[in-house]
Amino acid sequence: MMVRVLLMVLAVVWTAPLTAQDGPLRIEITEGVIEPLPVAVPNLVPETAGSAEMGQQLARVIAADLAGTGLFREVPSSSFISQVSDFNSPVLYADWKAINVQALVTGAVNVQGNQVTVKFRLYDVFSGAEMGDGLQFAGTTDAWRRIAHKVADAVYSRITGETGYFDSRVVYVSETGPKDNRRKRLAIMDYDGANVQYLTGSESIVLAPRFSANGDRVLYTSYETGFPRIYVLDVGSVQRRVLESQQGTMSFAPRFAPNGQTVVYSLSQGANTDIYAMDIASGGTKRLTSAPSIETAPSFSPDGSQIVFESDRSGSQQLYVMPAGGGEARRISFGEGRYGTPVWSPRGDLIAFTKQSQGRFHIGVMRLDGSEERLLSASFLDEGPTWSPNGRVIMFARETQGAAGRSTLYSVDITGRNLRPVRTPEGGSDPSWGPLQR
Amino acid sequence: MHVGQVISGVGHAGLIGWLIFGGSFQSEPLPFEVTEVSVISSDAFETLLTNGPQPAAPIDIALPAEPEIVPDPVETPTPDQDVVVEQPTPTPEPEPEVVPEPPIPQPEPEIVDEAPVQPAPQEQAVEAPELAPRPIPRPSDRVAPEAAEAPEPEAAPDVVEQEAVTPDEGGETQAEEQEQTAPEEATEEIVTEAEEPAGAPLTSARPPARRPTPPARTAETPTEETPQPSEQPQSEPEDTSSDVEDALRAALEGGGAEDVPQGPPLSAGEKDALRVAVSSCWNVGSLSSEALQTTVVVAVDMTQDAKPVVSSIRLVSSSGGSQSAANDAFGAARRAIIRCTRDGYGLPVEKYGQWKEIEMTFNPERMRIK
Repeated sequence: MMVRVLLMVLAVVWTAPLTAQDGPLRIEITEGVIEPLPVAVPNLVPETAGSAEMGQQLARVIAADLAGTGLFREVPSSSFISQVSDFNSPVLYADWKAINVQALVTGAVNVQGNQVTVKFRLYDVFSGAEMGDGLQFAGTTDAWRRIAHKVADAVYSRITGETGYFDSRVVYVSETGPKDNRRKRLAIMDYDGANVQYLTGSESIVLAPRFSANGDRVLYTSYETGFPRIYVLDVGSVQRRVLESQQGTMSFAPRFAPNGQTVVYSLSQGANTDIYAMDIASGGTKRLTSAPSIETAPSFSPDGSQIVFESDRSGSQQLYVMPAGGGEARRISFGEGRYGTPVWSPRGDLIAFTKQSQGRFHIGVMRLDGSEERLLSASFLDEGPTWSPNGRVIMFARETQGAAGRSTLYSVDITGRNLRPVRTPEGGSDPSWGPLQR
Repeated sequence: MHVGQVISGVGHAGLIGWLIFGGSFQSEPLPFEVTEVSVISSDAFETLLTNGPQPAAPIDIALPAEPEIVPDPVETPTPDQDVVVEQPTPTPEPEPEVVPEPPIPQPEPEIVDEAPVQPAPQEQAVEAPELAPRPIPRPSDRVAPEAAEAPEPEAAPDVVEQEAVTPDEGGETQAEEQEQTAPEEATEEIVTEAEEPAGAPLTSARPPARRPTPPARTAETPTEETPQPSEQPQSEPEDTSSDVEDALRAALEGGGAEDVPQGPPLSAGEKDALRVAVSSCWNVGSLSSEALQTTVVVAVDMTQDAKPVVSSIRLVSSSGGSQSAANDAFGAARRAIIRCTRDGYGLPVEKYGQWKEIEMTFNPERMRIK
């Protein structure tokens, strides 16, 4: 009898912890939502008489930058309950919560002569706190768009934790005319298609412009002499010079090394094409591949230690990685179809490429070992990917079918979302995204 | 010559065959009606006319007055009007509906019949007042005719005995326990809670919230303003007020730990409801790749109306990313907790002790690439 009672007591003692809760309630959240973050960008408060229009323009560019990423959604000003009339006045969080604004950007602009000063603050509405400290930018009135881009970059960085890419430029080939008589010239623009400037004339065909790591120079291929030759163009002075090449050879597909001192390119002799490296200062070259097949489109890894390129040595066009100094290459693409124009991500974790499969072209990304291949686009002709400075967005060229087909620049998030055209005054191809400007 | 014989033979054979089998191919004669006709005289016919009930039969045929029905189809060309006119006739249709109603009341009476059976418990309920005197024994236990002041005589002998016992036996502790249990309070009257004045105010008027109007300030660069301590409270009056309100609410509603209803642990369904509510507001779309690889554990104190105390949301731990990524992930988690709680999370109040404090682990592993 005593034993039975003792067992009952022990059973109660043992099972008690199962019913009682020890410590706080614990739950795990593994499923969330992926949707644009509602952000409000009221017109910047003018601090001088002539600053009102500038305040509106700045706010529009900031909002367009943020909304263009697909990560943010601009809450229209028509739904604002309270207006920001004083940069230093306290934020009425309840008014912004009521319209579901989660991030609020307030700012002020001061225009005096040709100088403009912009300051802003970013607020987390639901937390009721400011995100980081306020910032101030100053510049000339001609550079007001750059100031807006810098504000947007700061906002983007504080919310996402990544660096922005708005204050950057893209060099590309501007195209006009029909396909059988298309005129091409080099152009440079803001990342969003604004402020287009032409770097060359349209007398000869130009191809494949590539920015240097710091954005001061551009490599490109020109047919001025009838044969493709590589030129180096200084973006600031628009001065250029041709890289030395052997007579009777064709050199193309150049790309800078991260150090800016070395150029890798393809050299075609007879029926064979291999990859070479050239020291820009000395002109010395080194052959990196020596296969009877075609090796081209080299691209450095961010640390400059490896090169990814395309080759048909296996019978079809595939991607390979080799040491920067040459050597044994390993194949990384094994999917169906043909792979080309690989570009290493600035983050170093992905490689973008063009893929042709079943009569369609795709822009895709894969890991360095070829795993986790993701196709981000599909059309009659998509080609020439280039990475944004933060490695979050890819820009490429899409050409429509037919004799009157037009080539247009597009951008897409690496998740495959937010595919959108980049508005340029003319057609565009071969984009190369430069670094963030300083 | 043979030809003539053959022709003759065939002709004769055909003639003979027709004669023999021709009748068999004939169809049967068509049926025809046969009527019997009898011939009578004119006198007999007249007698038949006069004696038979002939007039009555035609009158009967005319009586159905079917020609009167014929006019109805004449009116049918205006069927709509007829329908409209006939709408009153549907009114009689409800009557048949009313007719079935009687059977419905019939079951009702049946229910009513059963109801009278149920009044039995009502009768029991009536008996309940008889049971109500149960509280009477309670005052008998509590109330004494006189205020009890007897603990002293009981304690006195114990003290004496303890003095006699050696200290090794530990009798002193027993004596102390008896003194504590003996002096139970007993009063002559029962003072209910309603009659007893509350020592603490049940409700207190909250001071009116005033939003301080910040003084006008000169334009300064934000970077210079932020370190100034005097301007910080001006820029965040609402934030602090909300925190104060949250703290007051937590203090008032939470009260002492003794008043917190514990209740049983939350059921799986209640936990899932909370998980779904937070998940629906956990937006990871704007997080960096590194933040999407960072798991954060966030703790939050809850009020009894199942709303989070904003100022209590804190990062407990993180894993998988840098501190910067953890801060970004924590920001998204904090927004998720705050955004979807305008009406509270709907947790059961009787189990408040179970969810007074919640630790939420935000694991974005499944959200990295979607």
